[in-house]
Amino acid sequence: MLRSCSQNRPRTVGLTLTPRSRAGGNKLQCSVRQVHNPPPWRPAYSLDQWVAKEARPISLRQLMVFGRTLTEARLISSANYVRTELPTRLAHRIRDMQTLPYVVVTNPHISQVYELYYKAFESLRKVPEIKTLDDNGRFCEKVSHTLHEHLTVIPKLAMGVLECRNLMRPEDMDKFMNTILRSRISRRVIAEQHLALTETFHSPYHFQDAQSREAEFVGEVLVKCNAKEVVTRCGHEVAALASTAYGPFTKLPAINLSGHLTATFPYILSHIEYIIGELLRNSIQAIVEKQKITGYKGQPAPIEVTICEAQQHVIIRVSDQGGGIPRDILPHIWSFSKGPRSHELLENLEKVPKMAATLQELKNHNPEGTSSPSPHSALDPVTHAAAEKLGHHNAAVHESSLASLSSRPPNLRLGMGLPLSRVYAEYWAGSLELHSLEGYGVDAFLQISKLGNKNEQLTMRASMDAV
Amino acid sequence: MATDYYLVSVDQNLSESDAKKHIEEQNIQSIETISDRTSIIGPLFKVKFKDGLISTFKAHKHIKAVELDGPVTTRALNGGKVKLILQTPPPNAAMIRWSKQLRSCIDTSPFLYPSRAFSGIASLARHPSPAAHKWSHPPSPTVISDDDVASLASKPLHVLSLADLVKHGRPPLSAQALFSSANFTLSLLPIRLAHRIQALRNLPFIVVSNPNISKIYNNYLHSLSTLLPYKSKTISNLEDEIRFTEVLADLVETHAHTIPTLARGFLECRKYINPAEVTRFLDEHLRARIGTRLIAEQHIDLHNSSQSHQHPDSGTQATDDSSYIGVIDTALQPAQIINSCGNFVSEICELKYGVRPTWIIDGEPSTTFAYVPVHLEYIITELLKNAFRATVESGKSHEPVIITIAAEPENPREGLSQLDKDRKLDGGLSRTREVEENPPIKPFDDPAPGVTIRIRDRGGGISPEVLPNIWSYSFTTFSDADELPGQTHGSGNMDALNAISGAGGSSIAGLGYGLPLGRAYAEYFGGGIAVQSLYGWGCDVYLRLKGLGKPKG
Repeated sequence: MLRSCSQNRPRTVGLTLTPRSRAGGNKLQCSVRQVHNPPPWRPAYSLDQWVAKEARPISLRQLMVFGRTLTEARLISSANYVRTELPTRLAHRIRDMQTLPYVVVTNPHISQVYELYYKAFESLRKVPEIKTLDDNGRFCEKVSHTLHEHLTVIPKLAMGVLECRNLMRPEDMDKFMNTILRSRISRRVIAEQHLALTETFHSPYHFQDAQSREAEFVGEVLVKCNAKEVVTRCGHEVAALASTAYGPFTKLPAINLSGHLTATFPYILSHIEYIIGELLRNSIQAIVEKQKITGYKGQPAPIEVTICEAQQHVIIRVSDQGGGIPRDILPHIWSFSKGPRSHELLENLEKVPKMAATLQELKNHNPEGTSSPSPHSALDPVTHAAAEKLGHHNAAVHESSLASLSSRPPNLRLGMGLPLSRVYAEYWAGSLELHSLEGYGVDAFLQISKLGNKNEQLTMRASMDAV
Repeated sequence: MATDYYLVSVDQNLSESDAKKHIEEQNIQSIETISDRTSIIGPLFKVKFKDGLISTFKAHKHIKAVELDGPVTTRALNGGKVKLILQTPPPNAAMIRWSKQLRSCIDTSPFLYPSRAFSGIASLARHPSPAAHKWSHPPSPTVISDDDVASLASKPLHVLSLADLVKHGRPPLSAQALFSSANFTLSLLPIRLAHRIQALRNLPFIVVSNPNISKIYNNYLHSLSTLLPYKSKTISNLEDEIRFTEVLADLVETHAHTIPTLARGFLECRKYINPAEVTRFLDEHLRARIGTRLIAEQHIDLHNSSQSHQHPDSGTQATDDSSYIGVIDTALQPAQIINSCGNFVSEICELKYGVRPTWIIDGEPSTTFAYVPVHLEYIITELLKNAFRATVESGKSHEPVIITIAAEPENPREGLSQLDKDRKLDGGLSRTREVEENPPIKPFDDPAPGVTIRIRDRGGGISPEVLPNIWSYSFTTFSDADELPGQTHGSGNMDALNAISGAGGSSIAGLGYGLPLGRAYAEYFGGGIAVQSLYGWGCDVYLRLKGLGKPKG
């Protein structure tokens, strides 16, 4: 593709003192910005074409029904759906980024994400129509490679946002982040679903004629997520991580389940595990830290999880007595640009991309590998066991970018758990709400649509342009 | 009397010069044209007769009536008409006949006189003429000119801080402090009332003509008129102060039933005004009402608790109430209020459903903080009504309602927190358009710790269809088939319920005002109410109350 004009020489911009420092994190904010290559400008013609197309949203139910009876024709059709959807959605997001303030997009982290997206767009839009299984095979490799490359997007974006928090209004930043993350989920869902279907199709145990109605998994979608099982499993994992992080002598709260314990709903397993994992992690962390402050030696009050099933939805309520959310943080919990704690969060985030890098290294050395994403070798046995439990669907566990995040030690706060969980929850037309009783504890409410027939909630570029 | 002026109205068809000629034929001293035949009231002249002789123009076919000039008042009639009544000193027999005629001709007039036109006429009757001051009678207490309201309503509302309310000191107050409190109240109330009157006037005509709403409107007019005589004076002696406090008490009493009356009125008018407008108006109005009543009740309370020091017997009483500053209790224990409200509401339940729900208080029941007890009582009662009703109606009355009290820790980590600085203490009024209209009261100290109360029930939750409407005024799950509370033709059950329900005027699940009004109270001091429904299981309600802190000094 034509690379126009500037091949910028590396420049260094001198010390810039950020004009407004927030109350917290008052260290002198010197950002030495090395602007190596502001992303090169490409002619917009091809991008414009794809931006003009509308994304075609899909629902969980469609995903499931589609994958139940796999024929070659269906597989090809799915491949072509993915072939056009990915570039369309990528194009929308690239255009979004192009309209951000210049100073934001030239931030090194955001700039890298921009480059990744553009590269993926360029690569995928050139794929010709898929007609045979071989074409599909090649296509799947390309997609898989792209997915792999983009594993580091979330932490990079988070860091970029935090670094840029004084350069844009928080509301605008949050809107941008929500849109881009939502779109990212959508692309990965579509892509991973197709990859899973391809695998199923080619697996030695797949009979084309068999109607696997009783299949647990249809691609990535777990048809009958049992709320109780998910919560129990996540609870064990988070507890395991916590006891390693805090030491074996810290008393951890029990997790009590009540309500409609037989409730089930279709969902993508990694998503629901991420959300519940984050909520439980937050609760445990709050409880443990409160105990440290008060010096209480006994068994802490349990975390009460209530499952409520109605005709159209399942609500999971997580109630803890961890002391609530302090007033100074409360307005920022859903925002990607945090308030007083931004500095600490930035430091923590810098540790996470290395985890993703480690994951890649491990996978390269371990071609069969189940995901063992933790950098701390001490954790390996624990998470290995947990990961094996996770790996019960499909022989090769799809590496999920969430896996590296889900298995970090709980005291490594990234500030992203809540907003990202909300993006996941809302993606499938659900919701995540939090109520804090300061001085006592927090109640979190996760609402999941049960029927799975609600379409993805995307924001269309087209509708935004209409304004 | 010879110095009296008379209003003479003549036939519509007569030209001004002709009319004047007819009148001048009688024994008059002077004549002045008030209005000519193009005006809405027809041709009218102000006439002064020569000594002692009054001509009634009995036989004159063109002269319609002769009346003694005086202040004019209105009375609202059914059907939206407004009747003009010329108030005269006790008329003699002849005058009575003519006064009647004047009234009747206005009644049959095809024009309806909306209040504005009336005011126009009143000011027309008072059109400044050289001799005007001579014939203006002492203003009748129920007449308020447009000018008064307009001038008061144009003044900005003072941004009140609670420090203002307590700056006069802890009761018992000295006489001087009492006067300063009275004068302070006097400086605020007329303006607030004028703003409310103006807001009411701007509602659609058909709405304000509804008898219930019109009654409230007139109440406001009346109250403002009782305060106007004090406006020009400063209260500096005990007599005045006592009388002023009585006026305040009357004000509070008059408006005690505003809410049910307004509610009924809007319910009756629901065909003519859409719910969004009602909610918008009521949000603003009721929030303002909270403030106005607070100011008035505070002074009354300070006054009453300062009287006690004159009685040697009530010495002990003073120490018992020492946590009170007027209507604010600096050591209010929410658990106490919850228990007493719980008893009250569960009694109503027993009467209606035959079963008595139970509750448990956990968290930190011994928490105390500074707040206005009556506000908390109202909110808790309304929330418990909802919780108990749901619990009983879903057959889970054996499951106790769990109420958790959480006390905020004293000092946030960073001193005066960013949150409190950033958060607009607007009493939740950012929802209404005219935030400047009713700035709320600011708490004592910004970082004053508050209290969060969670009410958790197993009543099955709120269905998704109903959920968007719970914050609208007059949305209620009471069907139209059910009797509205307060209507006389109801079942005996209802009457007993209403009798027990007390001054609020609402029974269980009655008018649909509980939630929005409760939220208005909570938000007034910077708190709020959030409702989280688990449909199929129950409901969690979070009541956040911002404490009023410790008064400085």
